[in-house]
Amino acid sequence: MKYRNILAATASAAVLLTTATTQAGEALDRVMSENMLKIATSASWAPQSFLNDNNEMDGFDVDVAREVAKRLGVEAKFVTPAWDIITAGKWNGRWDVSVGSMTPTESRSRVLSFPAVYYYTPAVVAVHEDSKATTIADLNGKKMGAGTNSTFELYLKKDLTIDAEGAPAFEYKIDAGEIKSYANSSAVFDDLRLGDGTRLDGTVDALPAILKAAENNYPFKIIGSPVFYEPLALAIDKGDDEFNDKLAGIIAAMRSDGTLTALSKKWYDVDYTIAK
Amino acid sequence: MLFADTVKNKVLVHKPKFLIIMLISLIIIFSLFNLTDTIFGEFMRPVIGDPAESGWYGRLSTAFVVALIFLLNIVLIGFMPFRAQIIVVWLQLLTLFLSFFYSFDLNFEFIRSKIWFMITQGVFTTLYISAISITLASMLAILGAVAKLSSNGFAYAIASFYTSFFRGLPLLMQVYLIYLGLPQLGYVIEAVPAGILALTLCYGAYMTEIFRAGIQSIPKGQWEASRALGFKFGLTMRRIILPQSMPLIIPPTGNQFIAMLKDSSLVSVIGVWELMFLARTLGTKDFRHMEMLITAALIYWTLTVCLEFVQSRIERHYQTLSH
Repeated sequence: MKYRNILAATASAAVLLTTATTQAGEALDRVMSENMLKIATSASWAPQSFLNDNNEMDGFDVDVAREVAKRLGVEAKFVTPAWDIITAGKWNGRWDVSVGSMTPTESRSRVLSFPAVYYYTPAVVAVHEDSKATTIADLNGKKMGAGTNSTFELYLKKDLTIDAEGAPAFEYKIDAGEIKSYANSSAVFDDLRLGDGTRLDGTVDALPAILKAAENNYPFKIIGSPVFYEPLALAIDKGDDEFNDKLAGIIAAMRSDGTLTALSKKWYDVDYTIAK
Repeated sequence: MLFADTVKNKVLVHKPKFLIIMLISLIIIFSLFNLTDTIFGEFMRPVIGDPAESGWYGRLSTAFVVALIFLLNIVLIGFMPFRAQIIVVWLQLLTLFLSFFYSFDLNFEFIRSKIWFMITQGVFTTLYISAISITLASMLAILGAVAKLSSNGFAYAIASFYTSFFRGLPLLMQVYLIYLGLPQLGYVIEAVPAGILALTLCYGAYMTEIFRAGIQSIPKGQWEASRALGFKFGLTMRRIILPQSMPLIIPPTGNQFIAMLKDSSLVSVIGVWELMFLARTLGTKDFRHMEMLITAALIYWTLTVCLEFVQSRIERHYQTLSH
């Protein structure tokens, strides 16, 4: 009986604790009272987000984030923690929102909420230009590289479950022999550029990122058609429905008045805001 | 110098046996790499004809000439006085290093456009994080050392647990644990304080041992004498023991500072814009990572050389004090 009491007490304490952290409106209140939206994003993922020639944050994600902050009527402030720290969730108010082209996956939605998808990018398979591979199937059994915990790595591991409405279905087309994990996409690109098969035989990454690398004399070529389209969303810490709805509303408005399309054309020359 | 010998021997690099063995092994080593398609092959063109078609003849004769130049260099350096040798060898190694970096085909315009920001933002952050951390770590280390030397079981247990734990974990893991773990206890710590805390705790643990060794090196007689004069523990420590152990403590502390300067790069994972973070991010837009990494490497090195210089001055200062 005693033990049961203790159990009940712990259970109710746990409930209390969780409700304490999931009070609706907390994050939104914080943003409004501090008059500042703290945005977590990468500083090394051109053209989504990077440091420009004036050493300031710039890119598609950064522009979207600034617009969101503007529509909330607050200032935008950027923080740049490592990607795995952002995706780990439990931000404790260190930053309010991630505008970092995050794909809503099943495992991420356990710790984060995804208020709105703001664009879709095709994920493609790329190889060194000396590669003899002509179809995606030629890469079966080869060494493939991708960023740790990225959707591309999950795709290679055949463990990708996209958890968003309107995401087109896809199938796994590669049986990678070995999957090498990297800190980020640019590390993958630097290894792939060394030569066909030197360290890597190929990679799966976002089309715009690969095009951007190719534009900067990285000897890459794209093979086959996109393997999947990933919806990319804003992410917030779990528990503030009001903030969630507010952000969803802002993105919907940016979509309908053409702001998102304009930003996409500005950075990618293509409208990525609708899934193909 | 370990021991200034008064018996003069012939310089090793001037002994014929040594020279012959060196020459043969150098020729073998250099002919293992095909040097004909490098600048040396071009240089040998009048002798071997077109370097690309010279075959084994070209390869061996190039290796021979390169080995000869190498050896001549060593023999000549052998004639120089000690100080001149140091300067010449340093300059030669430095030139080799820089030409190695230079061969990467770097874009210097790009480096020039970023280096000011790397210094004002990156070096500044790296230096102030390291400076605050080393100051706090020294304070922690004095406490830890006194506790480790005390006869109080609690104090000893806490201090030895602390040094054991924080010396036993990789610093990178401590950074993650503090940044991600403390908020679980209800205190949300910002990135810079989290980094400073991790560096302080980790280096405080190492420096506890340095301080302990310094304090222990003071002979027992000093304690006995101050007790005989009626000094209490605190006064003895402050006025008698610590001043005498400083010459032993400060040089290794300077070493720790140099090590910390480089270890502070681990703080970049939690998004602090210090030198390492900028080295990894500034190049991404134009895909010029190598430029930024090499620039940052040279900046770290320059900082370290400056600090080593200061360090050697401090060491000399205390050497003259204690003799």
